[in-house]
Amino acid sequence: MFKLMVKKGAFLAAGLMILSASNALASDSVIKGNLRIVIGSKSTGGDTYQNSSIVANALAKKLGINVKVDAVGSSAGFKAVDRAGVKGNTIMIFHDQAYLGYLYGKKGYFDIFNKYIIGPSIAINPGNAYLVPKNSPYQTAEDIINACGNGTKVRVAIQPGGVSEIGYTALKNAVSIIYPGKEKNLVAVNTGSQSMKNQLLFDGQADVINGSVQANEQYTRLPEEDQKAMRFVWLTARKNTINQAPKAGMGATSRDQLLKFVDPITNVPLDKTTNFTFDKEFFFLYNKGLDPKIIAEIDNALTEIFASGEIQKTQKKSFFIPDFMPSKEAEVYFKDKMERYKIIINSMQ
Amino acid sequence: MEFLTDLSMMYFLLIPIGVIIGIFFGAIPGMTATMAVAVCLPLTYSLNLNEGLALLLGLYVGGISGGLVPAILLNIPGTPSSITTTFDGYPMTQNNQGAIALKTAITASLFGGILSAVILFLFAPILADVAIKFSYIEKFLIIFLALTVIASLSTNLLAGIFSGVLGVLISLIGVYSIDVGGNGEFRFVPGILEYYLETGFSLLPVLIGLFGLGAILKEAEKGTKEEDTSQKVNLSNQQKFSMKIFKGQFTNLTRSGLIGTFVGMLPGVGGSAASVLSYTQAKNFSKEPKKFGTGAPQGVIASEAANNGLTGGALIPLLSLGIPGDSTTAVLIGAFTLQGIQVGPLFIGENLGTWNTMILGLLLANIVMFITMFYAIKYIAKVVTVPKYILYPIIIMMCVVGSYAINYGNMFDVWTLLIFGIFAYLGGKIGIEMAPFIIGFILGKSAEIYFVKALESFGTFEIFFTKSPIAMFLWVLIIISVGYSIYSALKGKKIKKAIENK
Amino acid sequence: MENSSSSLLAIKIDFAQSHIFFPTIIVWTLVILFALILIFYGIPYLRSYLSGERTLNLSLEHIDKIRLLGTLIVTVLYFILMDEVGTFFPNMGYGFLFVSIPFIFLISILYVHDINRKKLITITLNAIIAPSLAWFLLAKMFSITLP
Repeated sequence: MFKLMVKKGAFLAAGLMILSASNALASDSVIKGNLRIVIGSKSTGGDTYQNSSIVANALAKKLGINVKVDAVGSSAGFKAVDRAGVKGNTIMIFHDQAYLGYLYGKKGYFDIFNKYIIGPSIAINPGNAYLVPKNSPYQTAEDIINACGNGTKVRVAIQPGGVSEIGYTALKNAVSIIYPGKEKNLVAVNTGSQSMKNQLLFDGQADVINGSVQANEQYTRLPEEDQKAMRFVWLTARKNTINQAPKAGMGATSRDQLLKFVDPITNVPLDKTTNFTFDKEFFFLYNKGLDPKIIAEIDNALTEIFASGEIQKTQKKSFFIPDFMPSKEAEVYFKDKMERYKIIINSMQ
Repeated sequence: MEFLTDLSMMYFLLIPIGVIIGIFFGAIPGMTATMAVAVCLPLTYSLNLNEGLALLLGLYVGGISGGLVPAILLNIPGTPSSITTTFDGYPMTQNNQGAIALKTAITASLFGGILSAVILFLFAPILADVAIKFSYIEKFLIIFLALTVIASLSTNLLAGIFSGVLGVLISLIGVYSIDVGGNGEFRFVPGILEYYLETGFSLLPVLIGLFGLGAILKEAEKGTKEEDTSQKVNLSNQQKFSMKIFKGQFTNLTRSGLIGTFVGMLPGVGGSAASVLSYTQAKNFSKEPKKFGTGAPQGVIASEAANNGLTGGALIPLLSLGIPGDSTTAVLIGAFTLQGIQVGPLFIGENLGTWNTMILGLLLANIVMFITMFYAIKYIAKVVTVPKYILYPIIIMMCVVGSYAINYGNMFDVWTLLIFGIFAYLGGKIGIEMAPFIIGFILGKSAEIYFVKALESFGTFEIFFTKSPIAMFLWVLIIISVGYSIYSALKGKKIKKAIENK
Repeated sequence: MENSSSSLLAIKIDFAQSHIFFPTIIVWTLVILFALILIFYGIPYLRSYLSGERTLNLSLEHIDKIRLLGTLIVTVLYFILMDEVGTFFPNMGYGFLFVSIPFIFLISILYVHDINRKKLITITLNAIIAPSLAWFLLAKMFSITLP
């Protein structure tokens, strides 16, 4: 009985191997074999995974190859690209954290413009937000800045060292511009996940938290007496970005309502003349030694994908703003973006 | 029952498919429920939300339940939450009661799963409000309570506690991760190893290294002799399973199911704590605590009712706060975002149809799990008759796959497997106890976060005692737990002395 | 805050140094436990050893050296080669597939007692089927990344 099973299994296995080996060589893409996209986040429920999956599906169809998204996290992701990225079978998708982590001096981050080739950008997550309890005395971001200026300590719950901290740094910078020397009244409460940030607000251990439109919108619709009720005070995105969002907005909060929390209605000064804004953008990262043919192939494939207009619908359905730039253009753009944020991060540390 | 009309044939088909794939993943040492859900997540693109959820819930329930199979038959916890199942399940197998242990376990799983689904359905929003009363402090105390359990699981009190604390220490290796609010600096890592140890050792490879590879090395030392055929588990000669085994176990079942549900609903406490807590509670409340660890069905019942109770529990914060209760639901949340559905405090009210579908799916998945496993046990139990020279290399290979895949492709995790396999082999010789060690390892990181963050926020140790009535209640439990372990350790010594004097 | 800061239980944690706060506590706990173990078990043990009641048994006779060391060596080679071979076929999982076959074969041969023709056939077939099936189901059907 056992022997018979073993024999049957052997035929099955041999058959399967032949089948799959022939499959692998069928595609005429420059990329041979399977394409693995590692992402800078460990979560399969987060925006990086979601964005990468949308693009991976489209690329797989366009190029006729297998594309797999692996949520390995930032440091494992960088290592995978370092080690296996030359052949072009392992590439990375990440967002502004890739260089913000470096600017904030965190372990495991380095100057990506030196170490990698910047690939095309694909989308913006416009949802980066700051929230207060619904019964908070602070109605707007200006109230928070003024409170600090008047000597009140305001605690902001963030995850240190990146996208979550940049808005806090900007608020601190704004306080220092309007009320020089008072910026120490704005203090960071360093924590981790969204759940931990929310919890700090429920416990009264933070006055303001970093969150997102996607994760926190439902909390803003709870009645004020609910301990969990929150209110948006600021979205860091540019007005132009939110304007591209679906008119219905997110949940029961329309685009017009969201626009109220964005520059120029909500003011967080960057300097004497302009307001601070920050768009969380997703882009590819390649190994420095990657064959230019592969770079061109992905650029071309994405250009065609975005030209056909289908992917934009999927992105917008998931509340992402399409933002395609081929790699050359993206490299210049992100380098410039990093230089801009470098100034305030350095001055606030 | 209006929502039923929206459900397709596909929905009812995907639940058993999910359950069976889930059991398959859970039953292979090294593969987990989380992995099963993660690998099938991209498949849900092509399904609608209800169908996708049917598949994933099936995988979740199947995966958690499948873990009991290797725990009972091979002494290898298939998933972290089935560690405590090995304590009594494997001794039962050694006593030629493998099939009985399996059937007891799945029955307890069914009970725990259904109980938690009912609680989820009836009380989710209320319980979510209870869950948010647990701040850093209360969460630390729950973890501390689970850690005190180490004492009652030790063979030798002092060695057991030492092993547990060593487990905590090993879990802290690597950076104090900014993902949980740390400052991203290294601890205990020499410069040349920083490249590898940035995120420290992952739980799964450590677990299967200790229990899988470690056991194989011990066997290799002894020469991997096959047991005498006459001694060999005689399957035809086994006692029959009967529901009598559950006589007097209703309290145990209910308590364990409730502990599972409760721990599951606290985000960031971790599922493995559930079965550990319920196992020791069952032991402490039992009239014959000495039997635990030697093949007591009560132990298997406590462990399995709790880890299936976890499933409904972990869905509570997911569906009523938008926050996953454990690692598997953290992956599950992806199914919602991929479909563009917001989960948050208003989810249930705004998506009543989906909510009902999920509860139905959860119930069906538990029932399908029970039926499938009940009839498959006949064949599954035969694993123990496979000769070691065939079985062991396959186990090592599957442990490698699981380790490599747990963080979506990382070779260092495979080496972790080997490091901890050797650690278990050598450590066992000098009296390191593996069960306390792994519990310390599992709980160490979260204990640190909640402890340090509580002090950072409040600036005084006093807060652990005075924060809330919940905190004080938890202290009472901790004191009882510690007191009980000391009492039974002393009593054990007395009995030992009495025997020696005779 | 003000009233508790003078109390004995007050503590201030500097975020930049917070990564060593908890580890320090744990290390000291371990040191204390280790000292206790020495006092309660180490000293009595040493005493009974010195008085000749106990003798230290360091003999390695009972160890099956070939099987134990063989397992370790073959496993280390398995891990190294799997990774190396895998780099030739990026993200295909062939490293795992091609190296697992000889690995399973070698471990089986190492562990088997009283080998005969029938056992050898079973071992060979198993060494081919098990990895192929694992590779097909996991790498191919579920697209799990393997070396």
